[in-house]
Amino acid sequence: MTALMDFLTVVTQPDLLLLVGLGTFAGVYVGAIPGLSVTMAVSILISFTFAWDVYPAISLMIGIYMGGVYGGSRTAILLNIPGAPSAIATALDGFPMAKRGEAGTAIGVTTVMSFIGGFLGIGVLALAAPLVSDFALKFQPRDYMLLAILGILLVGSLSQGSLVKGIFAGALGIAIGAVGRDPLTFAERFTFNFQILEGGISFIAVMIGMFGVSEALLQLHHVDKDAVRQKISRIVPSLSTVKKHLPLSLQTSAIGVTIGALPGTGGDIAALMAYDHAKRVTKNPERPFGDGAMEGLVAPETANNAAVGGAFIPMMTLGIPGDAVTAIMIGALFIHGLNPGPMLMIDQPDMFWFIVGCLVMANCFMLLFGLTGIKLFTKIVEMPRSVLIPLIMLLSIVGAYAVNNAIADVYWMLGFGIFGYFMRHYGYPLGPVILGVILSRLLDDNWRRAIISEREDLGAFFAGILTSPLSLVLFVAVILIFVSQTPIWGRAKSQLFKRRDAQS
Amino acid sequence: MQHIDPEHHDGTSDATPGGELDKRRPGELAFAAFLLLASLGLLWSAFGIENPFGPNGLSSPRSIPVATTLAMAVAAAIVFLTTVRLPLDNAESFAKDILPGVVLLFVVFLVAYGLLLRPLGFLPTSALFLVASIKILAKRGWLWTLGVSLGSLLVIWLIFRIVFTVLMPAGIVPEAEFIQFFRGLSSGGAEQ
Repeated sequence: MTALMDFLTVVTQPDLLLLVGLGTFAGVYVGAIPGLSVTMAVSILISFTFAWDVYPAISLMIGIYMGGVYGGSRTAILLNIPGAPSAIATALDGFPMAKRGEAGTAIGVTTVMSFIGGFLGIGVLALAAPLVSDFALKFQPRDYMLLAILGILLVGSLSQGSLVKGIFAGALGIAIGAVGRDPLTFAERFTFNFQILEGGISFIAVMIGMFGVSEALLQLHHVDKDAVRQKISRIVPSLSTVKKHLPLSLQTSAIGVTIGALPGTGGDIAALMAYDHAKRVTKNPERPFGDGAMEGLVAPETANNAAVGGAFIPMMTLGIPGDAVTAIMIGALFIHGLNPGPMLMIDQPDMFWFIVGCLVMANCFMLLFGLTGIKLFTKIVEMPRSVLIPLIMLLSIVGAYAVNNAIADVYWMLGFGIFGYFMRHYGYPLGPVILGVILSRLLDDNWRRAIISEREDLGAFFAGILTSPLSLVLFVAVILIFVSQTPIWGRAKSQLFKRRDAQS
Repeated sequence: MQHIDPEHHDGTSDATPGGELDKRRPGELAFAAFLLLASLGLLWSAFGIENPFGPNGLSSPRSIPVATTLAMAVAAAIVFLTTVRLPLDNAESFAKDILPGVVLLFVVFLVAYGLLLRPLGFLPTSALFLVASIKILAKRGWLWTLGVSLGSLLVIWLIFRIVFTVLMPAGIVPEAEFIQFFRGLSSGGAEQ
């Protein structure tokens, strides 16, 4: 009963509802404007909502997240540029539809299907998360340590580029997180006797630099590209179209939520697998896949929105994010004093149900904003990059400064922005860096707790791992990723891409 | 997947852009070497971390930094050795594909912004930054440039001052007096 009340908090407080709506609205546009990404928006936003209460801040950020995942499909359809990695599969059939002048229909179907997928994902989250967190209570410090390593490795191995680069990025993140005075012994770590380094490096500065400034610098390569004009008329799809694709959308939602719930895998893989599934089960598509088949739009869009709910399961119950966006959401929760993990569900179940409520409302707003305001939408999307890029840079600087009112944070932010720019160019994933910075403290604390409880005996530590089934599973998973070097998911992913290549 | 973008960017914002898998991009080797040296430097620095309360054992503040920097150094060494073996991608050039002039210019702009923010204050620095960068990127008339940049600066300032209550360095602009003046003006207007 209290769960229901917490769930309804967002509905009963008009200001929170307004913030979710505002966030979703902004998210749809942020996701849709080429050159703006959800990761960027949420990382910059964290610094501005820093001083807010938890509820309003979370409402706004969940809105942006949900809207952004959906918004990425817009540019995929209209410009053949996926606004987010999870919209890659949407472009395959969405863009051909737009070229035939059916952009309106494509957007309409995408919206309704994202809504359905989103709902199913949230449903599964509400049912499964309490069970998972009950189980996670049995975790020992060494399990947390292993989970943190596993999460960083998974994100590293799944990003494009090689696992080694992912490992480097993750380790770099942990090292950045360790800068400053050690909280337990007050020993100086990586401070090089600079006083400014004693307090550590603000992870918000790292985040905004890597996802805001480096992205903006990269966008400078495309500054001369014209904004594309599209005529869009009717977008609300007919009921018969929705009915016709309902069975497929249920199947692909199931795929989405399952893939999303695996720690380390997110919407992009879910969408590609769903697309593949649709191709296999659709016997007679109206048009061939890759040429504007409606099924090729339905499948990835239901799956990537269902994956949102799925991805929240490991994020909320274990504190292990699936991708860069969920990593930043964890950062956002940290900033507001919440500690995603099994204890969150026990200490603050209200927060969990509140977040579920926000997700539901964000999903509804997404439907609303997706099907209306198309005139305004085309205007905003046409905003030239020559104005957009300087504005992003300005917002990044303001954001970095705002958290601690420290000019040093602005320099860190710029430094990491320029460093991140080169990392992007040379194929080093940025997600693991952020994850490493965020999980650094958890990793360090739990390692020391675990090894102290074994009286600094490494043998006893490993014996403990081998005798506990849970630790053993986690340990084997870590070892598997390490040893294989070519992660299974990465291989599956590249195979999917190859198949696409062969067919396109 | 289809090739979406001709400029070595696949368009997805969170993905890393660029290059071909079996070729080395210009500057990639130097970057890998830099990372390797930096990692070794950090590893050395990690060994210097002293536990003020006891031995530098497994539970000391040194252990995780040593482990992570070791992982960094090993990974960076592997990356360096693989990169050395790859043939250079001759279709790309450092000045055109990696660090074109406009990116370099903006790096300078950003650093200049950071240096001027304290002494000049938020509003003048941002105005300078926006006018200069939008003029250079959009290549349009002064009236348009000034209108767009100052207009958006005003919107940003209003949103952050009022909605998010972020305080930026005021510098040479008496911001607080400004706000007070307008408050007085609007309350004066209400009386009429």
